[in-house]
Amino acid sequence: MITWIEGGLLLFVVLTALMTAMLRDVLAAIIVFGGYSLGMAILWVVLQAPDVGLTEAAVGAGVMTVLFLVTIARTTRMTGLEVTTVDVNWSAAVLCVVFVFAVLATVPALPAVGAGPEANPAFGEVSSYYIENAYDDTHVENVVTAVLVAYRGFDTFGEATVVFAAGVAVLTVLRREVFE
Amino acid sequence: MTSRRPYVESPVIMSTVRLVAPFVLTFGIFVTLHGASSPGGGFQGGVIVASVIVMLSFAYGIDLTWEWLDKRVLVGITAGGVALFGGIALGAVLLGGQFLELAVYPVKDAVKYGIELVEVGIAMIVTGVIVSLFFALARGAMPPAGETDADTERGGNEAAATDGGNGSASPSAESTDGGENA
Amino acid sequence: MIEDFLLRYNYVVFALLLGIGLYIVIDDENLVKKVIGLNIFQTGIFLFFITVAVRDGGSPAVTHGGEGTFVNPLPHVLILTAIVVGVSLTALALALVVRIHEEYGSIREDVVVEVLERD
Repeated sequence: MITWIEGGLLLFVVLTALMTAMLRDVLAAIIVFGGYSLGMAILWVVLQAPDVGLTEAAVGAGVMTVLFLVTIARTTRMTGLEVTTVDVNWSAAVLCVVFVFAVLATVPALPAVGAGPEANPAFGEVSSYYIENAYDDTHVENVVTAVLVAYRGFDTFGEATVVFAAGVAVLTVLRREVFE
Repeated sequence: MTSRRPYVESPVIMSTVRLVAPFVLTFGIFVTLHGASSPGGGFQGGVIVASVIVMLSFAYGIDLTWEWLDKRVLVGITAGGVALFGGIALGAVLLGGQFLELAVYPVKDAVKYGIELVEVGIAMIVTGVIVSLFFALARGAMPPAGETDADTERGGNEAAATDGGNGSASPSAESTDGGENA
Repeated sequence: MIEDFLLRYNYVVFALLLGIGLYIVIDDENLVKKVIGLNIFQTGIFLFFITVAVRDGGSPAVTHGGEGTFVNPLPHVLILTAIVVGVSLTALALALVVRIHEEYGSIREDVVVEVLERD
């Protein structure tokens, strides 16, 4: 069943996401988005995903916010922090509400939160194999690391290449190169 | 010129960063190397290490940090990470195994140490890329090398009025903006 | 019916986050805000994956071989890498925003469209 801390965090992320949407001032929106990411990082830890929480705290709340900040520092004139809200575009809002209801319609078909392997198809044969055999196969206690590098290393190699390629792409887009 | 203020040194931020940075760096390396037996790993550790550089930039000025940074090391770290990961993966093929089949290396606990090395490679890639992304976005479209000094100097004089002159670092990006808007 | 949703509270939040992210992407004229909207949409999907992995009484999968109840490590791996790839792609999007600002002098979509129509 839902705990207080979980419920509070879920409420917090929804409210900060809404505030991000409603704030007109982009600097204010970025700061609230940083808070949103931090709330998400804590939520991951509460949901027993410390690896993801660590990443989200460093990436989402840290680096991502910084990247947004340096971007608007170069593109927007700062006139101080003003807290005004955007005018709601009702047709877009209705479209999004319809979208939310369409997604919600699929929710009852999903397994309940915290359901065990018998009710949750995500706990397939593969997952239990990883948990049972990761230590014997790799001598690594953290199954997430074992899966990341050993069982699905090819995948991770691709991911690392994507990160590398994105770095190269940014330098290409901002062509007057930094590496002078 | 925009209404933005140029970068101003803050003694509070500078001394805090000076105090915290070594610990954050150590924590990042710890997270990278300890990913095998506790939550953590190359991705997380790499980002934390990169955030040390970002912190330094905020405390001491983005341009100053960029000048201090050895670009060859930065490029070396990024490319070296890809090479390390790829090398370990392909080395297994050379030894007669399959791509990334770490067990073929003739070392005790080869898989475990192979995983650690791959994590280090991932951390290097992530660190290098995040640091370059940060600087590219923060000061990417700079005027050619010759003009940079003049700009910084002019910014320094502006800042001199506010904080005694040793502070300015990043006004050149602004002057690029101003020029285009005019 | 209501109970169905109460038992699946995380998925309700997932749907709301998707909606909010979509709204920002559609409606906000500021391109940086649009990128933020994409990120909110993305974290909504992360929430879906992490929730799928949750198991009552489960602990993070740090183990010597299977005794005990563990959450599913596989979605964690997927999301972990997705977050890092996400930040790289965000940076690429922001770089494009910076280029747009250099070309058109604005990061507001309506202004950019105006400039394009004038030329």
